[in-house]
Amino acid sequence: MRTLGNVSRRIFTYGIALLAVLVTLFPIVWLLNVAVRPQREVFKLPPNLGAPLILDHFQAVWANEGFRNSFMNSVWVTSIGVVLALAIAIPAAYGLSRFRISAKVLIGVWLLLVYMLPEFLFILPMYALYQVVGLYDTHAGLALIYQVHSVPFAIWLIRSFFHDVPGELDDSARIDGCSYFGTLWRIYIPITAPGIAATAILTAIWIWNELTIALALTFSNAHTITVGVSSFRGYAAMRWGEMAAASVVAIVPMLLFALIAQKYIVKGLTLGSVKG
Amino acid sequence: MADMATKHQPLAQPIEATPRSAPRRRCSPSYFFLLPTLVIIGFLSLYPIVYSVVLSLYDWNWGARMNFVGLRNYTNLLSGSEFWQILGQTFYFAVGAVTIEVTLGLVLAVIVNGLGFGANIIRTLLLTPLMVSGIVVALIWKVMLDPMLGIVNYFLSVVGLPPSPFLGSQATAMNTIIAIDAWWQTSFVFIILLAGLQSLPAEPHEAARVDGASAWQTFWSVTLPLLRPVLFTVLIFRTIDTLKVFDIVFGTTGGGPRLATEVIQTMTYRTAFSYLQMSQAMTVMVIFSIVIVIISLIYLKLESHGEASGRGKDTP
Repeated sequence: MRTLGNVSRRIFTYGIALLAVLVTLFPIVWLLNVAVRPQREVFKLPPNLGAPLILDHFQAVWANEGFRNSFMNSVWVTSIGVVLALAIAIPAAYGLSRFRISAKVLIGVWLLLVYMLPEFLFILPMYALYQVVGLYDTHAGLALIYQVHSVPFAIWLIRSFFHDVPGELDDSARIDGCSYFGTLWRIYIPITAPGIAATAILTAIWIWNELTIALALTFSNAHTITVGVSSFRGYAAMRWGEMAAASVVAIVPMLLFALIAQKYIVKGLTLGSVKG
Repeated sequence: MADMATKHQPLAQPIEATPRSAPRRRCSPSYFFLLPTLVIIGFLSLYPIVYSVVLSLYDWNWGARMNFVGLRNYTNLLSGSEFWQILGQTFYFAVGAVTIEVTLGLVLAVIVNGLGFGANIIRTLLLTPLMVSGIVVALIWKVMLDPMLGIVNYFLSVVGLPPSPFLGSQATAMNTIIAIDAWWQTSFVFIILLAGLQSLPAEPHEAARVDGASAWQTFWSVTLPLLRPVLFTVLIFRTIDTLKVFDIVFGTTGGGPRLATEVIQTMTYRTAFSYLQMSQAMTVMVIFSIVIVIISLIYLKLESHGEASGRGKDTP
């Protein structure tokens, strides 16, 4: 009786897990489906799964120069943004985890609040400022404003990775004549490289997927892929194929990224909150 | 903003002068490492805050018209009904979405935690929505939930349920967006709670089992209390994140029909970039930011309290 109960419970839990997987994946599969079928086939209900597979929508989307540029803009903004975030956050995380700083708590609270504040609080004043200083609609300007979100996040994560570095290691490096900077560069960064990679990946995913700020602070030069995709919003009435193809182009890099770096992503996502 | 860093420097000296370990005594480069953060994030946060507060006291429309009006933007906003309606809808969205996400995320985490074979693959697959940007999530669901041509209404008809207008009706649009957010972000809750479950000590569970507690009792009185700190962290991050919702509303309904799904951030976007009422938009943001800060500070207070009473014993 007991084993029978166990078996049925097993079946039940696997059933729920598989249902969750199905509900999770179906919309993404459906998006792919819409992107590779002729327009008129997509509107047929019940869906015609035997409809021909075509790449016309992808060709149409990629032929659009504005959309092509938006992809490259996202590559640029993401790269600059990640490098900037790490360059700012790594030293700060080192400083916060290895020195006794009187304002440590204050800085921590301030960073958390900056992270929590709504996007438009930053967007509106920066829109005005960027127009004046020439950073509006530029890769650098967008990557810079992203730091209000990325730097607190990166400091938070990297700091918890640095906490795991044994103090003796860093004391002995200091005694051996390493400068603080040398200790950070030769001891901390190599030891916590997987953690830093996790931080970089999560920051890249966030920047790549960000819409709100990019929508307001870019126009025709630096508009990112999410802005490009959102311009298909008006097409929703009829041109589903192109809208879906553009969406697929926007999410494939991050899905591949996730597939390759899954271990790091899980590590980064869970570390900060689980270890406190 | 550079003076912000230097202003803190003297404060640090007396403490740095009596460090625990000798090698750190000579020079104190601590704030040197923090300098980029203090300068850049200091500027990027303080400038917009000060600018928004000051400009919210003016009447400015992006152009030459800029008149000082004192607190009139605030009194106008707070005495009208639209702001309160939209703030209410924003909280409705946040509470609804967070409740569903935390419940489903917890159930899934417990289930996947108990799985043996295939748990890793299931975890990976459940993580995919997190890699998809909000605007794409919005467009996917807009296509699937189309009242006439959408696949979801087709599925409903197959199982004999009546079709729904989903995003097209004032009555159902907001709940539909809540469901979309749940599809998108339950993964986040799930992955963190799963890690939380896996990091729990085994002894309390074994003790409960030896004492003859049922699975349900063990979960309720052993697992859940142990999981509370992680649950709490997830809760606050999801709450703030949902209060700030923009892309999935912008991408599905744009705030409609008839403002039924308008939330604070889409309202601000509309006020600033469609109506060009810059000062009014900033007023909304100043008030909303205060709300966000209060919620965050309550969280910090509660968390440090929980740490002192709950987790303090383990850490020296």
